[in-house]
Amino acid sequence: MKDLLKKYLDSGISRRQLMRGLSAVGVSGVAAKTLADSFAPTPAMAQAAAPGGTDGIREVKGNGGMLYMQQLKSAGVKYMFFNPSTGDAPFYDAAVDVPEIQLIKGIQEGAVVAMADGYARLSGNVGVAHIANVGLPNGMTQLVNSWKDQIPVLLTVAAFGTETAGRDYAQDYDHQEPMLQPITKWFWVAESTAGIADVTRRALKFATTPPSGPVFLSIPDDLLKAQATAQVYDKKLFSVPMRIRPDQKDTEAVAKMLIEAKNPLITVGDEVTMCQAEMEVLQLAELLGIPVAGQGGQGNWSKPFPTKHPLFIGAFVRNMRFPGPVDVHFNIGDQGAEKQMQGTTLISMRRDPTGLARAWPVNMPLVSDIKLGVADIITAVKAMATKEKLKQIADGRAGRAGEYSAGMAKLRQAMATDKDAGSGNSINMVRLGVELEKGLEKDTIYVSDCDSGRSMDPFLAWGGADKSYISTGPNILGWGVAAAMGAKLARPDRPVVSCVGDGSFMFGGPQPLWSQSRYKAPVTNIVVNNMSYNNERNRIWTFIAGQQFKTGKDMTCYNGSPDVNHAKASEAFGVEAEVVIEPGKIQDALGRAKRANIEGRPYLLDIHVDRAGVGAASEWYPPFSIADMRTRKV
Amino acid sequence: MRKLILAIAFVATTFGVAMSAQAQQGNPFPEGPGREIVAVACTQCHAPNAITQLRMNEAGWRNQIYDMVLRGAQIGPNDIDAATKYLATSFGPGVPFPNQQPVDVKLPDGAGKELVEGGCALCHGVDRVAATNRSKDQWEKIVNRMVFYGSPISGDQVTSIVTYLDQNFGVKQTAAK
Repeated sequence: MKDLLKKYLDSGISRRQLMRGLSAVGVSGVAAKTLADSFAPTPAMAQAAAPGGTDGIREVKGNGGMLYMQQLKSAGVKYMFFNPSTGDAPFYDAAVDVPEIQLIKGIQEGAVVAMADGYARLSGNVGVAHIANVGLPNGMTQLVNSWKDQIPVLLTVAAFGTETAGRDYAQDYDHQEPMLQPITKWFWVAESTAGIADVTRRALKFATTPPSGPVFLSIPDDLLKAQATAQVYDKKLFSVPMRIRPDQKDTEAVAKMLIEAKNPLITVGDEVTMCQAEMEVLQLAELLGIPVAGQGGQGNWSKPFPTKHPLFIGAFVRNMRFPGPVDVHFNIGDQGAEKQMQGTTLISMRRDPTGLARAWPVNMPLVSDIKLGVADIITAVKAMATKEKLKQIADGRAGRAGEYSAGMAKLRQAMATDKDAGSGNSINMVRLGVELEKGLEKDTIYVSDCDSGRSMDPFLAWGGADKSYISTGPNILGWGVAAAMGAKLARPDRPVVSCVGDGSFMFGGPQPLWSQSRYKAPVTNIVVNNMSYNNERNRIWTFIAGQQFKTGKDMTCYNGSPDVNHAKASEAFGVEAEVVIEPGKIQDALGRAKRANIEGRPYLLDIHVDRAGVGAASEWYPPFSIADMRTRKV
Repeated sequence: MRKLILAIAFVATTFGVAMSAQAQQGNPFPEGPGREIVAVACTQCHAPNAITQLRMNEAGWRNQIYDMVLRGAQIGPNDIDAATKYLATSFGPGVPFPNQQPVDVKLPDGAGKELVEGGCALCHGVDRVAATNRSKDQWEKIVNRMVFYGSPISGDQVTSIVTYLDQNFGVKQTAAK
């Protein structure tokens, strides 16, 4: 057996030959598999064993722009989102000769970054954005979304040349790169042309290594123009998989606690999505009949657990009326749900060690790839109890959770039946939610940038075999339309719908539609138009209840007057559009949008909805006119 | 209707004593069936004042609860009626605000003045009415919304109130000081 293992380790025989050999010497099939697994080469070993150790390394000659593009190409980057500026020319000159990388042009820098961000969320690959140096602060606004949600984005600019930087020329300001410090994993200024490939590689490594996140690279324009020779590496040579598993003893302890718990709860968050662990989490919840909460509200950008599943009980709050006092809380990949409840043992499995136990005490912190860690717990649970015993445990718990979720579904049904209450012949959020659930395809990727939309989200089915929900945790508005463009690029064969409030649409402006129009991105864009920052006003008036509430004067949130026609704005960018005002016309409008998408064109629906809540009826805003200030009519 | 408004105002004044005592004890939620549901479910995301400073009837509170359930509040179908009734009783039209002195505002005389004092002041001071000039269309939308929230105003009275508000607090009038 020793000889067999030595041959295997020396790559003298294959895994199959090893298994056969082990069987021949009397090792059982299961034991042989375990042995083979334990001796399987790690990715690092495989990399080291590559012929000559240099497979995947190329020498490239060219200017700095070419070295940058060639390193991106070797890393498997297919798209570069950009807006042009003069100093960037070497990048785009190089792009002429690197057809493997498709340029995707945006207008404003924020939209360029949001497109890269949306692409990264849906593809799992790094989003590469290159923006005008002087417009860097514009791009930073959307980079905050990437930072908070740990989305891998490489943001680059062509900076002032090394000889001229610091002279305070019109578009120059000293040391711009530290501005990025609070919102990037890493930032750097290239110091030589030959080093550009090296720093680009490092930037990609930092962006993509979990916990992933945005990085910033500034390359002085004289270095971009200069010639040099450098090596570029394939992705496999600097990609760090971070497939970390929890300690086996910890895994077994968690399994035991979950089996023995009287009233356990699972909460889930975005790290489940990022580790593609949806199936494992579902399997664990079903195996033990544990109710699942979380993935809603601010702070989460995805919904990895199927919301129509009987075990899903809605948002997580610290004092859960259902399932009542929790004794074991297993948090899987959600920083927001990592909160201590009285009398509860909190276990938190996170792929991000910096976020783990950052704000609240955690009884059992576990750093792990979520997919591997949950799979290990499933294995441990199955090893600790018979199928019959597990079924008995699961049935008891799942029955209660199922009753609760069925009751909430019934309540939503009652709301849906009464969907036009108080709205007359106008559209409220309940009605819109019901209509979207009816009209959207089941495999739709729904890109939400709409705070008011949270009240219609429960009427739509998310996760599992249903629609995919993508949003941002911090809600930096102006993201949705551009991110939907990136999402469609990542998943061209799935329907993509952006749903943005009128506030968000005006934040980002209609300009991201330019990219949708230019590149024929068949996206349906929905503007949920209540002519207000409606939730903002509600929170200001009810949470703070200051002088605005007392006097009925909405000093800040009413967006009407002018009543912007977003459909007309859309058409100016070449995107067909219509205004929808009556509830009965939503389905027909969705049908027209769908047909346009099928034919390869984007579409926009400007859907007017009721404002809701305190002060909703008011259209008052502080009257002020600059024209009236004039003493001359000029 | 006028009698109904005055009757509600009387009950409000009487009930207000109890509310004030309640408030002085630092408990924002008065006793009553449904209190536990509201006190637990509604304070997970915001402070009690987001509720206690509002006044609505059952239809208004039900609407509000539905919205909160859609945003994550754990109020199940078996709790909805109790929570709605509790809120409409404890924080319904006419229930005064503890420890709040009404702002002394004298409305201009005219047809509809008493209806404003009776119908609007059940839930908030008339100073809110007098603070802002609005178009007739706006006043109509707001008064109708208030009727939905529980102001005991009939269809005819809506017309009278809107006319009064337009004449005295329309866009070309000056707000009362």
